Amino acid sequence: MPDTLAQNAAPANAARGTARKANIEAHSAVPIPTPPGLAHKLLTSLVPPILAGILVILLYAMVRSSLPPHRQFLMPSAQGLWDLAFAVPGFVPELLSRSVTTMAIAVTGLALSISFGCLMGIVMFRFLFLEKAIFPYLVVLQSVPVLAIVPLIQSALGFGFMPKVLIVALFTFFAVPTTLLLGLKSVDKNILNLFKLQGATWRTTLIKACLPSAGPTLFAGFSISGSLAVIAAITSELFFLSGEGGLGQLLMNSKIDFKYEQMYAALIAASVLSIAVYLFFKWLGNRLFSHWHEASEKRQ
Amino acid sequence: MSADFTSTTAPHSQAPGTEAQAMPGGNAIVFDNVSMTFPDGTEGLKDVDLAIAPGEFVSIVGPSGCGKSTLLKVASGLVTHTGGKVWVDRDQLGYTFQDATLLPWRKVQDNVELLMELRGFPPAERARIAREKIDLVGLTGFENHYPQRLSGGMKMRVSLARSLALNPAVFMFDEPFGALDEITRERLNDEVIDLYQREQFTGIFVTHSIPEAVYMSSKVVVMSARPGRIQEVFDVPFAYPRRPEMRYQADFSELCGEVSLSLRRAIEG
Ligand SMILES: Nc1ncnc2c1ncn2[C@@H]1O[C@H](COP(=O)(O)OP(=O)(O)O)[C@@H](O)[C@H]1O
Ligand SMILES: [Mg+2]
Repeated sequence: MPDTLAQNAAPANAARGTARKANIEAHSAVPIPTPPGLAHKLLTSLVPPILAGILVILLYAMVRSSLPPHRQFLMPSAQGLWDLAFAVPGFVPELLSRSVTTMAIAVTGLALSISFGCLMGIVMFRFLFLEKAIFPYLVVLQSVPVLAIVPLIQSALGFGFMPKVLIVALFTFFAVPTTLLLGLKSVDKNILNLFKLQGATWRTTLIKACLPSAGPTLFAGFSISGSLAVIAAITSELFFLSGEGGLGQLLMNSKIDFKYEQMYAALIAASVLSIAVYLFFKWLGNRLFSHWHEASEKRQ
Repeated sequence: MSADFTSTTAPHSQAPGTEAQAMPGGNAIVFDNVSMTFPDGTEGLKDVDLAIAPGEFVSIVGPSGCGKSTLLKVASGLVTHTGGKVWVDRDQLGYTFQDATLLPWRKVQDNVELLMELRGFPPAERARIAREKIDLVGLTGFENHYPQRLSGGMKMRVSLARSLALNPAVFMFDEPFGALDEITRERLNDEVIDLYQREQFTGIFVTHSIPEAVYMSSKVVVMSARPGRIQEVFDVPFAYPRRPEMRYQADFSELCGEVSLSLRRAIEG
């Protein structure tokens, strides 16, 4: 508690009768905080999401219980999810193998996007006229509703692996060349001057100055693309129901067979995959950039 | 130190590139009637004549936007002038910018090695020279730090060490300490003077602080408002090494006053 001190200052002003009334209080210090232990860190980082998760589950249960019984199949219960999906013999292995299939499509499409996207970003950075030529069509490509051209892709490439990969690539491409170009262009002008003064070639400047500087921006692009990749892969599968497919096919089949529990199981698997891809890029970005880049630094 | 003097001129009067030619009057840097007009028509420099003798330390003061940076960029070859001739040894050139311009993804050691790396020095030699220069600017022990964790003054020292690694014959400073607090700035002034005496380079030092200009240099050049030309050149009579007490001497203040008046005239035109 601050205690008010008797004042004895400002005699000059006091003599002139102009002293302002002061309300001087003593402010006490706080002890140096002890660094939080591991348990405390876990608590602060795990408790909020767990609480939020519980809240969501409660909400789900509330909505479900308010449904008339004949519509409750729309929102399976945990018991149902277990009995009719996860505990069904052979279902979990199937879910896993389908996840692998979907992941293969997503990762291949993403790899395609990233390699071509980086190449395109660098080429646009090198030649201004190519940027002028290509960039508008990148925007056009982004504005094309990919789902609408799936029949075209099917006619052109058939029903195998490649057309699905292409659909993933179309979904995930845009963010790669655009973020790379943005990053390459925002390298510090004086860093470029430094390289120019030593007569460095364009290639050396690209590798030692522009690309490292663009890294964090590019990784923001990767995260955007990565989070779209799994969704894109599942979407692509919705159009290809023959053969042994991935999670998308499971979604469709279980809907057709009214196995809503299995549909939910597939959805859960899909989000787990999406989150995994997102976390992967987050982890990699952190590893690569946190020691020098402010924004990728872990919050203390 | 072998001098490799080259002259470059406007592209239209001569093929681009360099041409070995006798250096006028044994100077280290000569601007002969140099003009620089930017593509948008801005006249950065107009009819600049300036000669700097080897081993001199010349400060340049002038109203902001008058073309001081342009003068350094022309001298270093970062931009090519559009009229007149420049003679300078660009082979071993030091250049520091207003901010330290470190590569944030490189540790101090690797930042200091950068220019040598670009010049193709072998790694072992690079590492050795870098350690030596890091020691010279008093940063031994910080080799493995990233720039993010350094103070403004320390970053500037890394930047100085990076340039010193090339053993520069000519060292250009473009308002290097403008963003630093006064105490750090004055300390770095002394450090640069020490380096200047030790390494024997020719210095061109752009600043907007008149006391700094007088304290550091053997000559102070006052530039006029845009388009930049040389308004007046002052010789600084004080011997090196300069010592901080000098800042409080009457003749120092007097010279600062004269430069200040000249600068005032330059701004008023
Ligand atoms: N690339 C450029 N194109 C057009 N004008 C420029 C360019 N660079 C500098 N200028 C102009 O030339 C003048 C001198 O600039 P500068 O040399 O940077 O001044 P300062 O003396 O402050 O360092 C300024 O008016 C600036 O706006
Ligand atoms: Mg400037």
